[in-house]
Amino acid sequence: MTNVASAPLLQVDAITMRFGGIVAIDNLSLDVKQGQILALMGPNGAGKTTTFHVIAGVHKPTLGRILFQGQDITGMRPDGRCRAGVARTFQITQPFEQLSVTENIMVGARPFYHSMAELRRASEAFADQVGLSDKLNVPAKGLSTGQRKRLELARAMATRPRLLLMDEVTGGVDMKSIPGLIDLVKSLRKDGLTIVLIEHNMKVINDLADEAIFMNRGARMVSGTPNQVATDPSVVELYLGEAKADVH
Amino acid sequence: MFRPFTAQALVGMVAALAAMLLLPLVSTDPYLMHVMVLVMIFGIFASAWNLVTGFAGLKTFGHHAFFGLGAYGSALMAIHLGLSPWLTLWLGGLLAGAAGLLIGTPILRIRSMPHVAIVTLGFAEIVRICIANLSGLTRGEMGLWGIPQFQGFTLPVVGKVSFTPADKVSFYYLALALTVLTLFVIVRLMRSKTGLAILAMRDGEDAAESLGVNLTRLKLLVFGLSAFIVGIAGGFYAHYLSILTPHSVVGVDLMISIIAMVLVGGLGTFSGPLVGALVLTVLIEALRDLENYRLLGYGLLIVLIVMFLPRGIVTLRERLSFRQQEQANHGS
Repeated sequence: MTNVASAPLLQVDAITMRFGGIVAIDNLSLDVKQGQILALMGPNGAGKTTTFHVIAGVHKPTLGRILFQGQDITGMRPDGRCRAGVARTFQITQPFEQLSVTENIMVGARPFYHSMAELRRASEAFADQVGLSDKLNVPAKGLSTGQRKRLELARAMATRPRLLLMDEVTGGVDMKSIPGLIDLVKSLRKDGLTIVLIEHNMKVINDLADEAIFMNRGARMVSGTPNQVATDPSVVELYLGEAKADVH
Repeated sequence: MFRPFTAQALVGMVAALAAMLLLPLVSTDPYLMHVMVLVMIFGIFASAWNLVTGFAGLKTFGHHAFFGLGAYGSALMAIHLGLSPWLTLWLGGLLAGAAGLLIGTPILRIRSMPHVAIVTLGFAEIVRICIANLSGLTRGEMGLWGIPQFQGFTLPVVGKVSFTPADKVSFYYLALALTVLTLFVIVRLMRSKTGLAILAMRDGEDAAESLGVNLTRLKLLVFGLSAFIVGIAGGFYAHYLSILTPHSVVGVDLMISIIAMVLVGGLGTFSGPLVGALVLTVLIEALRDLENYRLLGYGLLIVLIVMFLPRGIVTLRERLSFRQQEQANHGS
């Protein structure tokens, strides 16, 4: 009998994800503890985003189980997982383009407010939290990449999650906005949120993550503290190899 | 869309409703009344199609199936079961709504919009062919006639209200009541939290689902409601004209006209489908004297609107104010 209180918030139990003949995730297991920030690292095509899709319910794994708060959610649709407390942002942002910034956030906060006025006020507060308070009535299609990333974060937070999956939240964001984003994520953790992030920016990972998992070819290659992972000889070799391949 | 209506919008709505209520006091010309009744039937149909396509983003081309099911369903129940058209109108709507849920179910699984279009169009063809071939029941292509009229009643101030072919004004007010009811339901739905989820689904299904929107439930709701409304429009049409043929109510020409009305008026807006129904129905009647050339004029108008007002006639004002603003900026 599992003790729910001490059990990890999220347990990915030996998942394999095959698309036809391609193995995107190969027997991956990982645990995420309450309040932890875990970073998934690895080259493109390592299976990081697919892992997110499986945790968020977009794909049902070919094999294995996903447990959230001790409950098996493997067969649950993404909307059910959202209600259970799993929220996410997308690698390629997917704002509701014709809706305003506030309305985008209102979609996430919808179940928690009775009146539209309350819902709007609460959503504006989320927009303010991510620094979009001067864009409240702007349609989302008019936002820059960095603003879209922040909008997605606000929208996900509005669903009141216990676990937040952040897919390259600093990708495409200008350098001077990154410290603000790091502070934002830190404040979220302080509020008790558990976070899994996919990230390429080593500084962001060092600043935020308690633990990092380096993935390659759909499996865990190295794991440990961010520093241990970044200095691991096999990781260094893989990246240098990639760097070589990139020089034409 | 989710803010309280502005004073300007409220004045516009009240003015439009007042104009419609007062029109028969200005003229009760039977031809004018007939054209306006058709405008409202098509306006209801167009509004319901706009709900599915303009608001929910499901591109369906088979809504004429629901119009036909509502029309034939209501007419046949009134003829064979002896039920009052006041009741069969709603039963016809329910029949169409049930068919909407039936066809909505496979559509849930299709994410490619061209496939949704073909599946729904194919469904409508099946309905048309069934109606045409079940000639024992529907009299097929010969046409179903002798459809009972709505029973008259007496109102306190107005006196006796009857619904015979000569009483176009009664039909006019009944159609107006149904139009107002339809618009009320659609506006209430779309301005609610469910409406917000519907628009989110249109703009991005994956993102909406990740934020807790149950796509299955929402698509079925939208499809079923839209089909129900179209079915009622069909039922009203049956009892108004008293004669139905498979081609007139389940023909693809009807669907194309409705799509044209919504595009001309403004896809994804509340008033667009009604404005489009008014403009195109009146236009095709006004051009009747031109005989064969009228379709040319009709086509020309659609081309011009698509070229210069791609988001429909109802966006004319915002476009004009945008121009003025640009010119002012340019001038300064």
